[in-house]
Amino acid sequence: MANSYDVIVIGGGHNGLVNAAYLARAGKKVLVLERRHVLGGAACTEEIVPGFKFSVCSYVVSLLRPEIIRDLDLPRHGLEILPLDGTFTPMPTGDYLWRVNDHGKTHREIARHSRVDAEAYDEFGKAMQAMCRFVKPILSMVPPDPTTLNPRELMKLLFIGRRFQAMSSYDQYNQVQLMTMSAVDFLDQWFETDVLKATMSASGIIGTFLGVRSPGTAYVLLHHYMGEIDGAFRAWGFARGGTGAISNAIADAAREAGVEIRTQSAISQIIIKNGKARGVVLAHGDEVYADVISSSVDPRLTFTKFIEAQHLPGDFLEDVNRFKFRGSSGKLNMALDGLPNFKCMPGPGAHLRGAISISPSVEYMERAYDDAKYGNFSRRPYIDIVIPSLTDPSVAPPGKHVMSCFVQYAPYKLRPGLNWDDQKEAFGDTVVNTIAEYAPNIKDIIIQRQVITPLDLEREWGLTEGNIFQGELSLEQLFFLRPVPGWAQYRTPIKNLYMCGSATHPGGGIMGANGRLAALEILKDIKGAA
Amino acid sequence: MAAPGHNKSRDVVIIGGGHNGLVTAFYLAKAGYKPLVLERSSQVGGAAVTDEFHPGFRCSTLAHTAGPIQPQIVRDLQLEKHGLKWITPEVCVTALSPHGRALSLYQDGARSAQEIAAFSPRDATKYLEFQHSLGKISKVIAEALATTPPDIDHPSRGDLWSMLQTGRAIRRLGKRDMFRLLRWGPMAVADLAAEYFETELLRAVIAARGVFGTFLGPWSAGSALVLLIRAAGDPHPAGSASFAAGGMGAVTQAMASAAKAAGAEIRTGAEVIGIRIRNEAATGVLLSTGEEIQAKAVISNADPKRTLLKLTDPTHLSPDFVQKLQHYRGHGTVAKVNLALAGLPKFTALNNGDASALKGRIHIGDEIDYLERAFDESKYGNFSRRPYLEATIPSLIDPTLAPEGKHVMSIYMQYAPYQLKGDWPKCDWEEQRNALGQSVVQTLAQYAPNLPELILTHQIITPLDLEEKYGLTGGQIFHGDLALDQFFTMRPLLDWARYRTPIQNLYLCGSGTHPGAGLTGGSGANAAREILKNLKK
Repeated sequence: MANSYDVIVIGGGHNGLVNAAYLARAGKKVLVLERRHVLGGAACTEEIVPGFKFSVCSYVVSLLRPEIIRDLDLPRHGLEILPLDGTFTPMPTGDYLWRVNDHGKTHREIARHSRVDAEAYDEFGKAMQAMCRFVKPILSMVPPDPTTLNPRELMKLLFIGRRFQAMSSYDQYNQVQLMTMSAVDFLDQWFETDVLKATMSASGIIGTFLGVRSPGTAYVLLHHYMGEIDGAFRAWGFARGGTGAISNAIADAAREAGVEIRTQSAISQIIIKNGKARGVVLAHGDEVYADVISSSVDPRLTFTKFIEAQHLPGDFLEDVNRFKFRGSSGKLNMALDGLPNFKCMPGPGAHLRGAISISPSVEYMERAYDDAKYGNFSRRPYIDIVIPSLTDPSVAPPGKHVMSCFVQYAPYKLRPGLNWDDQKEAFGDTVVNTIAEYAPNIKDIIIQRQVITPLDLEREWGLTEGNIFQGELSLEQLFFLRPVPGWAQYRTPIKNLYMCGSATHPGGGIMGANGRLAALEILKDIKGAA
Repeated sequence: MAAPGHNKSRDVVIIGGGHNGLVTAFYLAKAGYKPLVLERSSQVGGAAVTDEFHPGFRCSTLAHTAGPIQPQIVRDLQLEKHGLKWITPEVCVTALSPHGRALSLYQDGARSAQEIAAFSPRDATKYLEFQHSLGKISKVIAEALATTPPDIDHPSRGDLWSMLQTGRAIRRLGKRDMFRLLRWGPMAVADLAAEYFETELLRAVIAARGVFGTFLGPWSAGSALVLLIRAAGDPHPAGSASFAAGGMGAVTQAMASAAKAAGAEIRTGAEVIGIRIRNEAATGVLLSTGEEIQAKAVISNADPKRTLLKLTDPTHLSPDFVQKLQHYRGHGTVAKVNLALAGLPKFTALNNGDASALKGRIHIGDEIDYLERAFDESKYGNFSRRPYLEATIPSLIDPTLAPEGKHVMSIYMQYAPYQLKGDWPKCDWEEQRNALGQSVVQTLAQYAPNLPELILTHQIITPLDLEEKYGLTGGQIFHGDLALDQFFTMRPLLDWARYRTPIQNLYLCGSGTHPGAGLTGGSGANAAREILKNLKK
């Protein structure tokens, strides 16, 4: 094994792998170092229970940038996305709300709750698409620096300004509200059905320490309309073989392009000589050298664990420490002996194939948040459930199933006197009990369960404070403020050291845009230097 | 009275004699017009009035400190010359903790730092840093607040120029503060306070500025923006305390006198119940008496919803506009309790006899979480049982307000949601009125145990009263929530932030327009400037 490369990528998560693949395709000699035994970071599949393949952390895909799928030819490397159809929200009243991709069906279903809302729902969809057309290019754009007078930066700002001006005043109005309002305030303007608003607003809080009534949560509603699979708008899906299959496909493409990937290769330090990154020290002491270091782990690890403070400007370090993580979610993965049986829609059926959302009312969501504000996990949490084995039988033995439950809120910082190691199982029980209120048979069909707390996410996946997006997706941490004001262009105060993880623009979720944009910036600099 | 309309001097009618209406009236009169101000109650002032609520006891009925009024306006109106006497005690605010500690912040930063040092030396230094950054940033915002929001689709030369000016001002901040400005706006004020300070009491008293009068808790994103808007008029980190001799009513009385001197006419007891519109243009107003007054321009100091959805027949507006305006949010969250006291209450946190710390504002809400929990209850339609309070005892600095040795106490209570649980807010608030007063007095009694026995009488003003008696729709004291999406070019609505309305010759000049935060006169002055441009056309 060589010990000198053009580029070393720290972390083999999906962004690190995308980053590596693009650099290798440009002819660079690239090494990826992954601490764990499996690739993919939070986008991994693991057989926790023999015969049951869990998408341990991240469990659905939607925002993976089409240009990346094309450039890296991922389908040829084994990527296959299976559609996830609809969202089913059971209600304590015995009623339910079941939205599917079939427009007519959804229209009738919503009309069952409110005719007005059924009409508004179509309007809302159209408006959202218009918003997406404005926001999408921004996802594939390197954030400008609003404080310089550099023409190139100003052009980018102007570009955004022009696009905004170009929108109809109706769309401008929506756009501005979307960027600033709370999910519920925004939805209140469109709909009257509580359960509909509650379920839709849920997408606004995922990965943040905000409630559905907190300003700034409306923007994330867009993400659910931005998703794109085979060009089909707002489609969500599973990867066949679990989320890890995405990372494996990217890794495969990277290897084909000549990338060397080492797992179980934790690093302990980034080597810096007179202000330049020169390489890394592995946990077992070996040193590996490279002209460029690209870190896909979060800034807290990169700049406070792997680098000594003396190498960094004081105010930069201050900003890094100020960057908010505050993990607010946990996960429960279960191996099931059968299917849950919902009181409000008994028996198996298509409603189990989509997302099952435990979000019966806006007040329910808000109270779940109130618990978290004071350092408790929600007594009655918001839960997003999927049963991938119904769509992809390969992940469970015949007749058996895997169930993935995303749970919010589970605050990383519990109130004084509580710690996650003690609360872990209580947290798991709360989730099971909550589900049992809607599907009582759940307790009888659990073969085995895996509880993942924010603390586990930090320990096992290196996600500081258990934030699944490597840093809260709140307004003051987006675009040119992400992760550090003035350092949103993937560069760092240390020459030849770059960031390419979810902590950079455009943020978390399996998008890959961060890794790609960072790679393009790195290549730009290398050319510039040459 | 000569037939209006034909009378050239009867060219502008202003609906409502609140402080913004009076400021607008002054500037129009100064420019040679003869505005007529129509105030529905028996005295001008709107939410800035002084009443005798108990024989011999006078008190600022609602607002009890000024924003303060923009210096330019004070100069132009020569308020001092018209009898206004400001009283600004050294102490701005004293925050009390239930554990018997008190933290006083003074106008003088160094002295404040001294006080803070008793809690945390680190916070003392941080306080001065914060004061410095906030001062620089708020200066820039102040410039923005003093301008008319630009027209986004077709910016005029003037717009581009003022945008350029603001842009320059922002650049002068330098990279660090420029980014602070960008970052702070959308933040939760609790996060902002925590970035600087470790003392809960200090965090809370500063965070309070970001939630006062809003439907936000300190953990709500965007509450830092409210702090910044208020800091623009008053850069003191925790807010200063500017009183007027004779209560806030004296401020609006002086404004009225200045407006009259400049040539404006003011009629009280004249309630406008409708705005007359012909061919999509305002032609005058209709009074409750049936009297009609014609005018070339109608300016409303009432809030946008009241003006355009109540006083105007909405059929004159596009459905789209009406819908947007219905979505303009105004959550009332503030109630007011005024007490006539037989003596000065003894606060356990203050060594007896020393009243100097009580001369500013008194802050109750010792922790961020205390404020947040008070907010939580209001989210579900209940008023806070352990409310956040801002109290003043103006009789300490202005003995004319109460008989010898007696005092008046003016208390803002938050959170009191306009919409109580249940569909009939009216009867609910009638039932809850006394319970509200109770929770305020009980809360204060934890800090001043002898307060209850000193109470001679109390005046309780619920959010419903604010709507019915003072015309504040939804009981919202700022004429609409201060929120990211209802600010600057979006106040009250995107495309309608320039004091005009879809109806020709009908203008807005109240707090529901930019900048519209508190008792500053900013909206009135900006509106006058824009309206004059049009009138001259």
